[in-house]
Amino acid sequence: MALRKVSKVVTLAEAASLVRDGDVVAVQGMGTQMSPMALVRELIRVGKRDLTIVMIVGGIGLDWLIAAGCVRRVIAIIVNLDEFGMAYAFRRAVEAGEVIMEEYSEHQLLSRLLAGAYGLPFFVTRSGLGTDLLALHPETTRVITCPFTGREVVACRALEPDVAILHAHRADAYGNVQFFPKPIWLDVDVFPRAAKRVIVTVEEIVENEEIRRTPIHTGIPYFKVDAVVEVPYGAHPCSLYPRYTFDRALFQEYATASKTAEGTRAFLEKYVYGPASHQEYLQRVGGAEALLRIRKWE
Amino acid sequence: MGTRACDYTTDELMVVTLARQFRSEDIVLNGTVSFIPVAAILLARATHAPGLTWVAGAVGVDAQPEPIIGNTLDPTMWKRCVMYLPQEHMWSYVHRGVLETFCIRGAQIDKYGNVNNTVIGDYARPKVRLPGSAGMGDMGSLDKRIFIWTTAHTPRTFVERVDFRSCAGYLDGGDSRERLGLKNGPQLVITNLCVMDFEPESKHMRLKSVHPGVTVEDVQAQTGFPLIIPRGVPQTEPPTIEELRLLREVIDPHGMRRREFPATAKRG
Repeated sequence: MALRKVSKVVTLAEAASLVRDGDVVAVQGMGTQMSPMALVRELIRVGKRDLTIVMIVGGIGLDWLIAAGCVRRVIAIIVNLDEFGMAYAFRRAVEAGEVIMEEYSEHQLLSRLLAGAYGLPFFVTRSGLGTDLLALHPETTRVITCPFTGREVVACRALEPDVAILHAHRADAYGNVQFFPKPIWLDVDVFPRAAKRVIVTVEEIVENEEIRRTPIHTGIPYFKVDAVVEVPYGAHPCSLYPRYTFDRALFQEYATASKTAEGTRAFLEKYVYGPASHQEYLQRVGGAEALLRIRKWE
Repeated sequence: MGTRACDYTTDELMVVTLARQFRSEDIVLNGTVSFIPVAAILLARATHAPGLTWVAGAVGVDAQPEPIIGNTLDPTMWKRCVMYLPQEHMWSYVHRGVLETFCIRGAQIDKYGNVNNTVIGDYARPKVRLPGSAGMGDMGSLDKRIFIWTTAHTPRTFVERVDFRSCAGYLDGGDSRERLGLKNGPQLVITNLCVMDFEPESKHMRLKSVHPGVTVEDVQAQTGFPLIIPRGVPQTEPPTIEELRLLREVIDPHGMRRREFPATAKRG
């Protein structure tokens, strides 16, 4: 199939409108790294509701979405703020019964997504044998007997998110998405293949010729991408290696503020609801000086 | 093993004790918030286990980072690696048993080395929601040699039975792990008070050595089930002067390992 020259470039607001209330949304992120945070803030500002969020490792973006009341269910292997500790909005919401946590081991969740990516009913793994995780959701993970060896394995039912949202280094207008040094993390690899719709925010949009000069970096081809948004520092406060590191001060501020529901609300007011645009957000978190600091990995 | 040091701290003793468990032929990967294991891996590689392969943050194969500066999954840990391991490759190596050694910690650990990092209380309406099982939900079921560490040796951590089995240890003890077809399992438990292993027949946790200034009675009082206590429990072998120098000056001069001690945690 030849590349159809259709631009998929949209604004953050248009991208957010591709996510519907009640959707199963796969959100990229790995601890303090690589998450489409500008789009997450936009989803919160427009008041999405009843989302099921799929993250392999749930982090700060998920905690903000939960605190803002956007989330009904979480599908993940762990939710925390990495070295900054517990994700308290998540903890409070699950303890209160307001959000359901559907927990898997990492390879169980990967197997569900791979089955989704292949269009197969299930994938198998040995992960989770002997744990209490297996009893949690017989509708999606079940021990079966291998027809060839008689060994017990765990069948993991296909998961096809309605939409995947990711942040990458760059793309062309047609949605050829590039990662540096290369695509590494599982979510970058499997989310776009398993999801029905794919939205990617990028640091910069480049010419198609530039992509053709460096195809080794391309992680998602144009035919799987529905929308591209140019958002410099779109992962902030998370990092985008090797371009910029995470904002240690903001993570720490949130880790402290989020210990109470009031503190969390005040934080969201200041950094998510307050700024009217991504530009205003970048000013709010310290402007050019702060951005220079994260570019220098300090 | 070199000249024994006499002036050292618990975090240093824990790192050195864990480091001594790694062998030159091991291939080890680390998970999130794992400053003590990462420091131990780097120390082992710099001393008795030069052939040890470390997959930094489960990505950077044989990485050679400068001093530990960021969190243990951060790309700063991948420096000078020979390959960025795609994560699906990583999982195939884990399944096949090529990657065989893993370190975990959790909120609750029981007498058979099962670990809970999921919930305290009922799963659906927990008293305390913990972060989650993450890699431990895999590694216990995938035949790994598991080293358990905790900086909080209390009766709340060491319980008769975990509220939720996030990581498969020796299950109900005896041969129950083996009967399920799972190989290896927990090897050692290293805490801020002592070192423990598992009695080979019953798979019940057993005291192996106590840290300086800690008595056998102290350990038992801080453990929520009766430990197997052999006669004449020795003191944990202290670090050597060379191990301490490497740890303090080369591997972890910023003391990132101390972030794992909540009471004295320092934020950089």
